[in-house]
Amino acid sequence: MKWPTSKLGYTAAGMTVLAAVLVPFLLMGLFTNGFTKLGLHVDQMYSGGPTARTIQEDGYTVTIHKAVYPHLLQTEKPFVQLDWKPVNALPQHVSDAVDVDGDGQPDVRVIFDVPKDPKTPLRVDVDTLNPRYQAMRNVGKQKFSELIVRVDDAILVRVPLTGR
Amino acid sequence: MADAACTAFPGRTPPRNWGRALLLTLPIALWSLFMSLRGLMQQDRSLQIASGLTAAFMVVLFYMMMKTSSTYRWRRWFFVALGVLFPIGFIHNVMVLRGSMGIPIEEMIAGRTPFCFLPIPLLILPAALTKTLVFPGSLLPGGGMSGAGMAAMAGLWLAITLVVGKGWCSYACFFGGIEEGMAALPKKAQWKKLDPRLRLVPWAVLLAMVLLSLALFEPAYCMWLCPFKAVSEYVAARNTVGLVQNGIFVVLFGALVIVLPVLTKKRTQCTFLCPFGAFQSIFNKTSVFDIKIDRTICSPCVLCQKSCPTMSLSDDSIKKGETLMSCMKCGACVDACPKGAAVWHIRGTQVAVKPERARLMFLYSAWAMAAMFGGSIITQGLATILQRVI
Repeated sequence: MKWPTSKLGYTAAGMTVLAAVLVPFLLMGLFTNGFTKLGLHVDQMYSGGPTARTIQEDGYTVTIHKAVYPHLLQTEKPFVQLDWKPVNALPQHVSDAVDVDGDGQPDVRVIFDVPKDPKTPLRVDVDTLNPRYQAMRNVGKQKFSELIVRVDDAILVRVPLTGR
Repeated sequence: MADAACTAFPGRTPPRNWGRALLLTLPIALWSLFMSLRGLMQQDRSLQIASGLTAAFMVVLFYMMMKTSSTYRWRRWFFVALGVLFPIGFIHNVMVLRGSMGIPIEEMIAGRTPFCFLPIPLLILPAALTKTLVFPGSLLPGGGMSGAGMAAMAGLWLAITLVVGKGWCSYACFFGGIEEGMAALPKKAQWKKLDPRLRLVPWAVLLAMVLLSLALFEPAYCMWLCPFKAVSEYVAARNTVGLVQNGIFVVLFGALVIVLPVLTKKRTQCTFLCPFGAFQSIFNKTSVFDIKIDRTICSPCVLCQKSCPTMSLSDDSIKKGETLMSCMKCGACVDACPKGAAVWHIRGTQVAVKPERARLMFLYSAWAMAAMFGGSIITQGLATILQRVI
């Protein structure tokens, strides 16, 4: 009775040594690919959600994302992300009325300065033209759902929504 | 002296002659050389030297394991080097790319938060229920500090875990080396009586962090409890909450990674906090290698229990002739047992029958992983230092 289990044990140990040799050549890649094929995505609270549409302005674009809603006990508010890019095509002072929901009427007016030094902290004011969106006054980057930041070649503004 | 002990206690493996030890080291020498080839072929002289030194370091340590038949003390050199050099290489990279150890919100939004293995158990439930990864990183390489992305780290973790199981905590974890080094400093422990119930704390932390991560949709351990944020990176404090979080990281690091290991000679963070370690213990059940106590020759003197850095041996487990689930196969108990009753073992085989064969098979697997993963981290840290020196 001991013999077969012993044989199985040594076979499994031998296969483990073989697996160790195969890790950098086969197994790691196999598991990594398998992981990417699971269809997972990074939480939209970080990524900003999928793109809804893009508005062409004078020399730059404003990309509007779909609204992001917090999960369960997440402390952030629901928000919509707007991207201005490329940064070097933006005027020194941006004051754009943006139709966020695509109904042909502007919903918010977003006002911010574009400093030449990318390390200069950004501040944004948002006036609401639609009660669905919350106004923001002199906001920096305190919360994921209420901020203005520069990411690579874009300036991102997240405008909180009033309802959950 | 050692030979005499082996004659008196046949369970102990005698030291080998240098020729046989060299022969047994040959596969690892070739593997280490192969793993260092990429670094050796780089234009950067510091990286070339670091790669060569790392390969030599790994080969010499393995040779000493073969020569002396002792595992723990030689593995510890590797592990401490890994624990010390990881923060050096990492912090240097962070400072060069970002200018600060604090990760700004922009980098999180851009998906450039470096992903280590510690949050893996926290991501499973949200991912299973909503297909969402509650971590501000990138699935694939996303530039900056995102490294190879979360998928690559998950793939690497799964592959290494398949090979060494909980041995990850002894041969792959790039955090545990600091406390193992601190624990090695004093000759004797100041605090010898540790409540064995404390061993359950990591399981409680794991459960709490998994549920919190699901409820808050954020990697709760990374946000609130990870002591290693103090030597890697932390969320840039934007408000009072951020300051409190960073304060917790520093206090936990000071207490569990620096002070308590010196006082107890244990890896206290691993034993009393780490939820990843608790999670990884599950894979001890899937690993073919384990450590057994041969009850026929065990006195018991409990030297194995005293030497275990993670309190993975209890009176009951010694009576049963086995280690607890949290055993990370570091080999401390095997080396400490004067009678050779603590032995390496392959599941399904008889205890204490050819234990050296089991040790060799495990060490080839574990050291191959150590040279591949840990070796690359050691190389990076060494290269960072050499860039300053040369």
